[in-house]
Amino acid sequence: MMAADSDPESEVFEITDFTTASEWERFVSRVEEVLNDWKLIGSIAGKPPEKGDYTSGTWEEKSQEINFADFKFSIAHNYLKQETPENEGKEETEEDAYPAAMQDLLCMNNDFPPRAHCLVRWYGMREFVTISPGANCEAIISESKCNLLLSSVSIALANTGCQVPVFVQIQQKWRRMYTGECQGSGVRTDFEMVHLRKVPSQYNHLAGLLDIFKSKIGCPLTPLPPINIAIRFTYILQDWQQYSWPQQPPDFDALLAGEVGGVEFGKLPFGACEDPISELHLATTWPHLTEGIVVDNDVYSDLDPLQAPHWSVRVRKADNPQCLLGEFLLEFYKLCQLKESTEELLGRSAGEEESKENADISHALSKLTEPTTVPMSKLSVSNMVHSARKRIRRHRRVDESPLNNDVLNSILLYLFPDAATDKPADAIAAKAKQGNPDRKAEQEMEPDDYNLFNQFKSAPSDSLTHRLALCICMVNFYHGGVRAVAHLWQEFVLEMRYRWENNYLVYGLASGTPDLRCCLLHQKLQMLNCCIERKRARDDSRQKGASPEGPRERKVSGPENGRLPTESSSSLSPGGAAAAAAEVSPGKSWESWSDSEDEFFECLSDTEELKETPADRAKETGKAKPEGRLQPHGNLTLLNSDEPLYIPVTQEPAPMTEDTLEEQSEVLAKLGTSAEGAHLRARMQSACLLSDMESFKDFDLCTGGHLRTCGGTGLTTREEEVTNEAGQTVVKGDLSARMKIPGNMWVEAWETAKATPVRRQRRLFDDTKEAEKVLHYLAVQKPADLTRHLLPCLLHAAVLKVKEEEAKEDILSVRKAMQQMISHASKLLRHPSPDYKKVEDLINQVMVLEAVIARARSLKAKFGIGKSEREGEEEEELERFVSSLLEEPEVAVLGAGRGPAGTIIHKLFVSSQRVADFNDEAALLAPLEEDSGRPGGVEDKKPASAGGIPDFPPPAGREVILRTCVPRPAPYSKALPQRMFCVMLREEFRLAGAFSSDTSFF
Amino acid sequence: MEDDVLTTLKILIIGESGVGKSSLLLRFTDDTFDPELAATIGVDFKVKTLTIDGNRAKLAIWDTAGQERFRTLTPSYYRGAQGVILVYDVTRRDTFAKLDNWLNELETYCTRNDLVKMLVGNKIDKEGHELDRSEGLKFARKHSMLFIEASAKTRDGVQCAFEELVEKILQTPGLWESEGRGGVRLADDEDVAPGSCGGYCSLV
Repeated sequence: MMAADSDPESEVFEITDFTTASEWERFVSRVEEVLNDWKLIGSIAGKPPEKGDYTSGTWEEKSQEINFADFKFSIAHNYLKQETPENEGKEETEEDAYPAAMQDLLCMNNDFPPRAHCLVRWYGMREFVTISPGANCEAIISESKCNLLLSSVSIALANTGCQVPVFVQIQQKWRRMYTGECQGSGVRTDFEMVHLRKVPSQYNHLAGLLDIFKSKIGCPLTPLPPINIAIRFTYILQDWQQYSWPQQPPDFDALLAGEVGGVEFGKLPFGACEDPISELHLATTWPHLTEGIVVDNDVYSDLDPLQAPHWSVRVRKADNPQCLLGEFLLEFYKLCQLKESTEELLGRSAGEEESKENADISHALSKLTEPTTVPMSKLSVSNMVHSARKRIRRHRRVDESPLNNDVLNSILLYLFPDAATDKPADAIAAKAKQGNPDRKAEQEMEPDDYNLFNQFKSAPSDSLTHRLALCICMVNFYHGGVRAVAHLWQEFVLEMRYRWENNYLVYGLASGTPDLRCCLLHQKLQMLNCCIERKRARDDSRQKGASPEGPRERKVSGPENGRLPTESSSSLSPGGAAAAAAEVSPGKSWESWSDSEDEFFECLSDTEELKETPADRAKETGKAKPEGRLQPHGNLTLLNSDEPLYIPVTQEPAPMTEDTLEEQSEVLAKLGTSAEGAHLRARMQSACLLSDMESFKDFDLCTGGHLRTCGGTGLTTREEEVTNEAGQTVVKGDLSARMKIPGNMWVEAWETAKATPVRRQRRLFDDTKEAEKVLHYLAVQKPADLTRHLLPCLLHAAVLKVKEEEAKEDILSVRKAMQQMISHASKLLRHPSPDYKKVEDLINQVMVLEAVIARARSLKAKFGIGKSEREGEEEEELERFVSSLLEEPEVAVLGAGRGPAGTIIHKLFVSSQRVADFNDEAALLAPLEEDSGRPGGVEDKKPASAGGIPDFPPPAGREVILRTCVPRPAPYSKALPQRMFCVMLREEFRLAGAFSSDTSFF
Repeated sequence: MEDDVLTTLKILIIGESGVGKSSLLLRFTDDTFDPELAATIGVDFKVKTLTIDGNRAKLAIWDTAGQERFRTLTPSYYRGAQGVILVYDVTRRDTFAKLDNWLNELETYCTRNDLVKMLVGNKIDKEGHELDRSEGLKFARKHSMLFIEASAKTRDGVQCAFEELVEKILQTPGLWESEGRGGVRLADDEDVAPGSCGGYCSLV
């Protein structure tokens, strides 16, 4: 039974049938559903928006897809996020209040927002819904389709009581044509639009626009209520000739001409190659006029931009200013993706580039006759490098090297400044051993900046690794790309090997064990240094023969206190232990627990003494200085004599880089959690412990059995326990209570330990093996690997560079962004396996910051800041103005055309006009030209300055808002908001009208 | 059993020598207590699966030696840890005073700056407390840590400490979802596509 057939009397059984509902009906119900979902039903009138709310507030958008048959539409809700409406506001809302959108039509607080959705710009609304064809769907062009859509909207609004205006987008998307409707109780606003390519001459001025508006309103009243007018003209300044871009691109030729010193290699380039500010837009606004106050028709205009009460300026940034630092980083980053190995790059190319080589032969000959820039013959280290280099060149002729010889020499000098000094190698080495060569630099720098390497997992900014990163980057960019990088790396590895073979410490690395806070490459280099240091010590002791006193053995004056202290005896503080570590060459390698090699740990003492038996030595105690002593243990003395208690020399845990440590922990984890696993694990880690114990036992014998174990070195740790026992008795070469639990690893080790002085123990750290491992590791790094190793260092350098440049300009936003970028980078780079794709984002962030600084420089130059021709106050105001230009979309000019900034802007326009005029052969015909350029315009009639050239070019855009409140459609209807927005651009004419009418009785 | 484990978490126990790190771990994993536990050599390692709010998490817990002699090795164990338990002995002020050093080391070597830190004051069963609960609380608040007092001997707070830590880790977004684990991450910082009119635009 059909619903329509049902008897109205028998309502109980009524069935409503939607089985035959059309696509159109379904579309309408779908729209209604969405409006309901988004809770857009009913009147939600808030307070009228405050001045500037549209700019400072946040706009939100949510959207959804809906279908009309199989045609996809996107329905979107745009609104200004408002504070939760207060209760008072709700009470004010009356049943018959106009919808908020209608009130907004008349609100003058947010005219011409700097950045806004076009509908906001045209109609001044804070909330609206749009329905537009979905992505990849064709536009709604035919009139009947447009009407169908609009009718659907109309029905949906009427059905739901939604008071938010709904727009449908028609015509091609780029035209931004919208038509829409807003319904309130008894009122309705229709939104209509005209869009043309050219401005019809009769409407090219205020008078013409007023005529259209009036005729559209069709107000029957006389006199017509006053029409409120707001006008804004926008002028564009593109011609900066007067203020040419100050940044000079770096002189690449000079760098290549062999004049390269070390200095250039330490510096990253910075700045934009072209002006990063491409345009300045001046908006002159007359915010509040009424008809009759100003005249603007086809023959005359009052609208002189200089007289406008309100000026505002925005700048347009160049889309892609060539920023040097950013490009540098990007080029370097690209190396990460390469797959070729060093040999492939250097070897293969030798054959391939045969022909190119021949072309260069004349150049090569002239090079032979050229004097070398650096007197290499004097340099001991470089000599060696040279000879090593020759080896490579046996396979490759000199000229084939991708890296120019002079450049290479300069780089090597920059990397290894110690090679340039005439000091004996020892002195250099000593200096290198002291740590970083540039300790001063460290002190000068902010501690935060210096410690950046920790956050980036890079390397200290005064380290060799850091310098290497800069050089590789520079070489990649200027001196031959990836092949040159491979070449430089090969040279670097050779130098490392040379230093290892000749006992020269690698210059520019902090001494000590590899710093796990730094990048792996840096750790490897430090590791190499550890090996060199160790080997030097070994070779030295061999050469010198010996004296009974080990050169490093220290003896402190006799005891002052014969009594054992009752406090904690751990006077060997961690600091003390560290000092001890520095005294003794590094020992113990991880593998040593299974190490079958019978090498001894050679401490720096007399070899003769080896023959003595422990017993002999014991007798001599007190007379001769026994071996194996490190230093007195605080004030402690042996119980039965005044002899100070010494701490025995022990082998230090072997230095390790993080990759080795990682492998170890994997091995340890694999042992599982069983008791045997745990035991084995402890055993594996007790090599160092065993060595310590052997030293102690041996030492115990030497001191006549009066050894007191001491804390701090790890043999005993619970100091108070030791002290408690030792308070009464002498602990005779024994373990503390905690270690003596039967069956534990400590006891086992203690029992296994033989009394062996440290120098007779098996060597725990095999420096030769470790050094070879490092050198092999370095040699097999491909350029891409190297780049990945050094990326953090380079980013680190880039951040320092940006910071340095920012400090000159003092830009708050850059500082803030910098902090964010650093913490972002820290998160990324400290991750065990960084995602190198994300590094590109970091580089882009650096580029953005670089561009901001370049823009600040450009603007400061244009506004003559820093030239101090002005009064202090004015200068300050200008500086504020310029800095807000960078950070805000649009900045008001204080005092409009008469303020300090306004005066400068005026001058900029005038000089740009002059230049344009001068360049223009047809300068005399200027007025005519202008007429054709902007037909029947306004500005050509405005007072021109001297010489007939107007101060300002014709405006690029003119916007006019006309508003009034009149009854429609009948004289007795309610007076309702009417508005028309007109925009006239060079190639666009648009009228956006919102005309409200009273729907009662109609 | 292995299959329904949501994630594997790496947890590290650090603190001065003799504060009871290994005892806490043993109490948690094996529910045993040995008053005479030998000092740990290097690092030890235990695994335990824990169910928190229906999520099973496998914990790989690394117990480190507190002694200086083994300190050179520990930094490598900080890598990739999602949680750290920092232990002090409530009857020994010196173990509390050293906490700053431990935090420094942690800060320096950890690879995630959002890892969850928990402070545990151990040995509350013992007489002669040198440290008040409030001092621990204050320290934990200052360094945004979780805080609990516990006793490995009497079981007090031990289970709770580990559970709290794991719960907190699971609640921290991005901390435990490793790549390829299928955790769908929505692009949150990408700009919303501009509206149909070409978005928010300026006049010219």
